[in-house]
Amino acid sequence: MKHYISLLLVSILFSADFDYNASIITNFGDNYDFYSYAENQLNLNLFYKDIEAWVQYEYSNPPEIGFTMNDIRKFRIEYSQDDYTVKLGDIYEIWGRGLVLNQFDDQSTNFDNGIRGLFLGYEKGPLTLNHISGNAEIWNFGPDLRTPYYNNSHNVIANHIQYDWASYSLGVSQLLSKEVHQKVFGSDAYVNHSLKGIHGSWTLNNADIYLEYVDKISTEKLNLLYDGPHDSLKTGHGFYGNMNFYFGNFGLSTEYKRMAFDVGHSDFTADDYGNRIAFQAMPTLGREQNSTLLGRVAHQFNFNDERGVQISLNGTLLNVNIVSQYAHLSRNEEWQSLTLFNWINSSIEGYLPSSDPSALPYWENYHEINGYHLNDKLYFKLGRGENKDILKTLRYFEGEGISVNETWIHTDSTEWQDDWVYLDSSLVGVDTFVYKVESKMWQVSKAITYPLELSYSFNNGYNLAINFEYQEQTKQNISKGNSKLYSTSDSSWTLINPDNPDSFFVQKDNLFSYGTKQIDTQINRLVSLTIGNASKWSITFTHDQTNAFSGPTTIDPFYNPLEAFIYGDLKYFTGKRNKIEPPAFIQNRWVSMEVAYNLTSSQRISILYGSLQGGLYCSNGVCRQIAPFNDGIKLSYFAIF
Amino acid sequence: MKKYLPLILLILTVSLFATDVDKKQIIPDLKVKLMDGQKITIHELLKDGPLLIDFWATWCKPCKKVMKYLDQYHNEYSDKGFKVLMINQDSPRSMGKVKTFIRSKKFDFLIGLDPNQKIAKKLNGLIMPTLILVAQDGSIQWRHQGYMPGEEKEIEHKIRLILGLESESSENDKL
Repeated sequence: MKHYISLLLVSILFSADFDYNASIITNFGDNYDFYSYAENQLNLNLFYKDIEAWVQYEYSNPPEIGFTMNDIRKFRIEYSQDDYTVKLGDIYEIWGRGLVLNQFDDQSTNFDNGIRGLFLGYEKGPLTLNHISGNAEIWNFGPDLRTPYYNNSHNVIANHIQYDWASYSLGVSQLLSKEVHQKVFGSDAYVNHSLKGIHGSWTLNNADIYLEYVDKISTEKLNLLYDGPHDSLKTGHGFYGNMNFYFGNFGLSTEYKRMAFDVGHSDFTADDYGNRIAFQAMPTLGREQNSTLLGRVAHQFNFNDERGVQISLNGTLLNVNIVSQYAHLSRNEEWQSLTLFNWINSSIEGYLPSSDPSALPYWENYHEINGYHLNDKLYFKLGRGENKDILKTLRYFEGEGISVNETWIHTDSTEWQDDWVYLDSSLVGVDTFVYKVESKMWQVSKAITYPLELSYSFNNGYNLAINFEYQEQTKQNISKGNSKLYSTSDSSWTLINPDNPDSFFVQKDNLFSYGTKQIDTQINRLVSLTIGNASKWSITFTHDQTNAFSGPTTIDPFYNPLEAFIYGDLKYFTGKRNKIEPPAFIQNRWVSMEVAYNLTSSQRISILYGSLQGGLYCSNGVCRQIAPFNDGIKLSYFAIF
Repeated sequence: MKKYLPLILLILTVSLFATDVDKKQIIPDLKVKLMDGQKITIHELLKDGPLLIDFWATWCKPCKKVMKYLDQYHNEYSDKGFKVLMINQDSPRSMGKVKTFIRSKKFDFLIGLDPNQKIAKKLNGLIMPTLILVAQDGSIQWRHQGYMPGEEKEIEHKIRLILGLESESSENDKL
């Protein structure tokens, strides 16, 4: 009934001569893996004098990721007059660079940190005042890759003041949240968060600077009946700085971050709470890649415990655009494993990130040239990206061991059965020998990627584009030192060769394999060829190939006619193919074809048929694993009115 | 099928209104913060002439490809009061690089900042690039999603059309 009322309301609003715009997004997918989805979304904006309204209606059964829904998903009514603004409904705001508050709804990762409630705003001249109060339901994924599992419920009050004058800007913000946090084990945790932030900027002719700092305190309510003050659970802070310099046709961007809201040797889980909350979506200091293969080796940023620097150069030389970027990140602490399970940390000295594997460092650099040639008909792009990521440490000890050598003299002896037997001995000396003990093991991923793009547009409106990406990746467990085991009985690290403490080793175990065969280097190749007619249609053929997998090799029991055609498998079409044993050629390849057609300039439909490789997908610093899409069809329709 | 009924009816309703050619859609007078810190409204930008709005981000490949043409049109037709407003949607993750990217290219068009897609959502510019051509009276004349090489000709034709430098009849010859 609610939907029919909404429909009636919409019709009335239209008849009342409102201005409006709307968009419709429809996605449908089905494949042999039962990875089916059907999602439809209507966004409707209405404008009447000083009133604005937004309604988002969704019918998804099921969506690609998220919950099944047939309801009004989002709504907001805004009223603005003179310097005042009032908003009621789903609020999305950003203050500064998001160290205190950055709200967005990203359906590709199912991340939504919007607050349903009230927004009050006042803006006059250089002064801006904002207030938000309301509730947010934030969902995180658990064991299922498609349906969220863990819920964190927040009751929020937040305020922001900003003053801009001339080339200066200064803002202060505050956010208080009462959270009910769902844990993996045990009952929900009741946590209060208090954030206080300050940000400022200064703009000059050839440079500008931006600084932001946030301080955070969280307290846990351990007894629901007790209403007095509670001990603090965690305290933390975050800092972000950005300085840009401009000279001629070049711009240099430098960024620094230090986020210290929690300390952890391994990944944070739903049971780690009281740290950074989902409203804090701050700069990550990694390049936001638009290459598929580079996206698959993206670093999983740690918003709770990470510091880093990033330098990025953009420029133009001889009509060629140049991009050059370098980033180095690490945790804020270096870790030592006293035993296999007992880890201790020590803060990294200074402000820069560490290169020690125990601080889980990450390096990336990316260089690209692109531009136009042949009277702007030919576009070219050639890039090179390099990533090195220490994914985890399994043991990491470096210390000293002591060997004790005792010298005895024999003061009494006798001969018995043709041998001397000592009857009494005296200890005359003890020599201690101190030796180095090292027992380290960490997992590292290294990748070099070359994205290449060429496109040529013809005079008759046709265009041809080829994208080629090549990537070499290694993933290894590296063991180093003179010990591999910790002895709980001796409470010490056991040397590999107790007679020779200097027997150090370095061992590298490759983690890529294909079937039962271990592979040193994973080689990925992605080719896509697009033929299009400007403003009308385009056909894209994509071929994605690898030679190894990290983890067990998945067997694809089916293959599609497109793949059979590409590899000349005539048996497929003559009905003689082996339906039980798929041919070897298809096991490590994903082939798809997409046809896109512009029905009008604002309506587009696309159909994809084939297979897509899954993997890591990141957006706005939020990453998720996407399941592979095998031998199926995807249909999309997007329209704006 | 019954479950789909509300959605189908809603789409039909919107489509019916969308095809109402007599009704001009007027662009709302949204506030835009420009990259140089200045705050302005869309209707203020329309005082001198038509406006082309484009939504873009530094990581969007087709957005960057179309930029050089839009900057060219911004300069070429500025004497007719025409302007291009490029609304940037980079999140804080890459916001630090927006200024260096723009200044290194020496683009002249106007750059608006919309880091959490407030403006994009109000104008339904969620696909990048989305172009919205607005006449001086505020009426939305044309919308376009995406960019393929060659489409710059159609974009220029629409701009010339709105400036009265070309007529509809010449559209087929031009394209």
